[in-house]
Amino acid sequence: MRARLGTGDGVRLGVIAALLLFCLLGLPGMLSTYWIDVLTLVAIYSVVALGLNVLMGRVGLVSLGQIAVLALGAWIAARLSFATGLPFPIVLLLSGVLTMVLGTVIGLPALRLSGLYLALITLMLAGTITVVLTATNFPNGGSGFLGYTDTDQGGTAMRRPSIAETDPAFYRYTVVVAAVLFLVALWHVRSKPGRAWAAIRQSEPAALAAGVNTTLYKLWAFALASFLAGVAGGLLAGSVGKLFTFQFSTRESILLLAVVLMGGIYSLWGALVAGAFMKLLPALLDDWGLPADLLTILFGVGILQVLLTAPGGLAQQFPRDMAKLGRALGRLFGRGSPAQEAAK
Amino acid sequence: MRKFFGWERLRPTVALLALMVGLSMLVAACGDDDDEGSAGGGAQTTAAPKPAANASKCGLGNGKKAAGAPIKLGAIATKQPGTDFTDIPNTAKAYFDCVNDNGGINGRPIAYRIETEQTDPGQNASLARKLIESEKVLGVVGNTSIIECAVNHKYYEQKGVYMIGSGIAPACYGTPNIAAVNMGPRYSSVGATQALIRQGVKKLVFDQSNVPGTGYISEGVEVVAKDAGVDVVHLKENVPIQDANSVALKAVQQAGDGGGVVLNFTPPEALKILQAAQRQGLQNRVKWGCSTPCNTDFLADALGSAWDDKLFVNAELNVTDHDGPDSTLYRDVLKKYAPKVPLGSFSQMGFVEGRIAVDALLKVKGDYTFESVNEAFKNMEGFKTDILCKPWYFGDGPTHVPNNTDWTTTPKGGKMVIKEDCFPISDKDPGIATVRKWEQENLGA
Amino acid sequence: MPSWEDFKPFIVTGLALGGVYALSGVGTVVLYRATGVLNLAFGAVGAMGAFISWSLIDRGTVPDGIAFLICILFGGVVTLAYGLAFGPPLAGRDPLVKATATLGLALIMLGAMSWIWSDKARSLNLPTTNSSFEVGDVLVNWTQVIAFALGVAVAAGTAAFLRFTNVGTAMRALASDREITATLGVPVLRVEAIAWLFSGLLAGASGLLLANLIGLDAATLTFLFISSLAATLIARLRSISVTLIAAIVVGLVSALVTPILEISQYRDMAPFVLATIALLWLSRHREISFARRAG
Repeated sequence: MRARLGTGDGVRLGVIAALLLFCLLGLPGMLSTYWIDVLTLVAIYSVVALGLNVLMGRVGLVSLGQIAVLALGAWIAARLSFATGLPFPIVLLLSGVLTMVLGTVIGLPALRLSGLYLALITLMLAGTITVVLTATNFPNGGSGFLGYTDTDQGGTAMRRPSIAETDPAFYRYTVVVAAVLFLVALWHVRSKPGRAWAAIRQSEPAALAAGVNTTLYKLWAFALASFLAGVAGGLLAGSVGKLFTFQFSTRESILLLAVVLMGGIYSLWGALVAGAFMKLLPALLDDWGLPADLLTILFGVGILQVLLTAPGGLAQQFPRDMAKLGRALGRLFGRGSPAQEAAK
Repeated sequence: MRKFFGWERLRPTVALLALMVGLSMLVAACGDDDDEGSAGGGAQTTAAPKPAANASKCGLGNGKKAAGAPIKLGAIATKQPGTDFTDIPNTAKAYFDCVNDNGGINGRPIAYRIETEQTDPGQNASLARKLIESEKVLGVVGNTSIIECAVNHKYYEQKGVYMIGSGIAPACYGTPNIAAVNMGPRYSSVGATQALIRQGVKKLVFDQSNVPGTGYISEGVEVVAKDAGVDVVHLKENVPIQDANSVALKAVQQAGDGGGVVLNFTPPEALKILQAAQRQGLQNRVKWGCSTPCNTDFLADALGSAWDDKLFVNAELNVTDHDGPDSTLYRDVLKKYAPKVPLGSFSQMGFVEGRIAVDALLKVKGDYTFESVNEAFKNMEGFKTDILCKPWYFGDGPTHVPNNTDWTTTPKGGKMVIKEDCFPISDKDPGIATVRKWEQENLGA
Repeated sequence: MPSWEDFKPFIVTGLALGGVYALSGVGTVVLYRATGVLNLAFGAVGAMGAFISWSLIDRGTVPDGIAFLICILFGGVVTLAYGLAFGPPLAGRDPLVKATATLGLALIMLGAMSWIWSDKARSLNLPTTNSSFEVGDVLVNWTQVIAFALGVAVAAGTAAFLRFTNVGTAMRALASDREITATLGVPVLRVEAIAWLFSGLLAGASGLLLANLIGLDAATLTFLFISSLAATLIARLRSISVTLIAAIVVGLVSALVTPILEISQYRDMAPFVLATIALLWLSRHREISFARRAG
């Protein structure tokens, strides 16, 4: 199979670049601050979903702890931001790296397990982290290691980068960072780690036999997912300013799993769809006056639907459905295939 | 392979959906929304079209339907699995509907937009901006959220919004632009503590749910109990509680015989602890107190007669079957305009907030603008109602605890009844002392 | 540090909690042994049944006993329907996929519960809770005994059933390899249906008992289920008896941590920590792979 370069790829790149420019420059002018904030969250949670997307789609590992890792990343970023005067990009990078280290260390012993056991143990680890965070709370400008203070003024918000203080500016900042992180993930997928992961997902024993260091590459995948969640955590902390444990519940982890599945795990675009499902849909439903519970039910149905009929999720299904629709429309308007015409 | 969009494989999904829909309809038909249950009392007559003669009036009370350009107001409330505060703004809305049927605000109707949030700070921040910048509401009233005050108070100060709501987070009481009709967990727990101290407890356990703000909340109890010479043990429980037996046992053990336990939890959690204590036979070893969330007939009913007269609940609002004019109007408005909302402190708070807002709006001279409405909210003073012990006010102080005088109630026969009449929350709590001082200097006697 | 006297009553509450975990855990592993599906919706289905019961009793539509029965039947019907609709299509897939699918059912149940019943203080009263007897300093009520006994009975009964009866053997074969079992002439669909129905009835019964013992709200019952998964993990989803013992140990540890004030707020972590340690320790030598073949 030779890689097809040329007009096909070029067109796609062009479209992606155009879309990105539109998101950065066009959208902020068109939408109110509320929707800009929603889209910022969509971008952040896309990155979180990206981590899980890579783990599930490329390596075949399910982690129910990605939201807990996000919480860790947010905590680390907030603590660094309050304790030091480091510029925001450094804080992001540091929180990504530290979260990556933590995620890898925690993940290392668990990697001996696979499949259902791994998923369940990540659920257990997530539960542990949640309980610890309920006890420590999130840094809000207080002193001491935990940096948490209990006052009736509500604590201080985490500072944002000086070039992106306003909501629209921070939105652009987030989109740029998210785009970079997607590129990072794409690089991984297209090069050696990606090939190793594909081999592992196909058959771990066979990969081992072929000389692939499965433990290393599985760990690498966990490290990548944790890094992504760590940076996303920093962006989240900067975006909302004040953090609470409620946002990082086990229910959120299950919802993340649902949306990642529904978005599609075999394409990186699925992560973007997942982010939109997770944060844009609730906002839309609220705007239309529909209850948020409807979404929970829909996600439940979505999981079932994806597992039964469309393992590739929406990212795979949508182009196919559009293609089918296109063909159907074509037949409707009489521009049938040559065979059909010849049959007349 | 002629599967049309994989229909055959979709069949299970469709089957399941059909089952769910069928079940929901079954449940909806025979017993879903539990709100009209025993909480409201057994034999209630069907809604009377006009309020009783001695009830207050909705706004102008002239029976004329309001028309014209609406006056927009907004609210943000928590609604997620496990926490639902929408009853409060929904009751405010019910009152606004009544006002709209009775002359509106000098003829104009109120348009009220309620936004729900799921304890996501980003969402809270953007909802506030949505209300004020996109929807262009003139005032914010009825907010009830676990984190909203903390997230948005700076924004309110920036924009000059004076928000009237039901406070939960400490920031709802300690910041200049927010005033609540209730007292909040800290001062309400102090009130319950005072009630138990009056019962002569030798040692106190203060047990609360482990949500942000526990240190701030327990400060009040600590200071007031210490002043009365009673030691306090502070406990925290993660909610939802899975092992209420152990929690109740721990609390009773720490209090010791003849001690007291003050609980600060939402009603479902408090119910678990109290029931666990009773089932294990620990109930009579200590005296039990509860902050104001326990003041709901729903809880009284669920507890049953074993707890009659045995629970000292601090009540920021009067009992729901009080026969004062405002309380009567409250019940009538609820029956007619919001029949699904149960009687209880939540709906009472929403009602009072609505009444305060309307009262303020009716006082506005000139155009209804963002500035004039918020100015009116801020200048509210001396608002009397039989649902609160003392007249309510906003004012321009740096902190706001306008409701600082409370009753004590207790369950009896499935309802909450008054046990102790209005008493001031102890000013040994510095927060209260500050507020009392401001009151003395700024309000009339 | 509390004294021994202070610790003693927590042994009782620990056993009570352990019994609750055991009921949930055993119910889950039982279905797993019989069909290869880890039903993560077990708790949610039971909770929904309990809510329906509550509504019926609150409205006075049916006598209490019938309402309780409806709860149990609801569990059976919904689980059976799920098993019949989604069991066969997913049968050949990885156990992880099958378990994830049940998460879909769980989300549907949770969403429906949250929609229909708002968050209020509700109580489901079983008549057996009113009678109790004294153990040391505290009272133990009969509902707790029933929950505990049911957990033990199901564990013992199912173990015997699976080992000694024909249908039981067929179930074990099915969980191991469905296709081969089918070719051997075992009525696969019927055997599966029995397993699903029984598990569903157990979910309904657990929901009823737990709603009474722990509390009637969806969030609590869901969390409880996740904690009970810890016990099933310690048993590596294989041994029903180990699940039972693990559940009791987890309950005991959680309860005994409670009176130690310094770490009391971390007590909810106990199931998770125990499961993680146990699983990692048990897998330290070999690779536990979880392929299509169960166990």
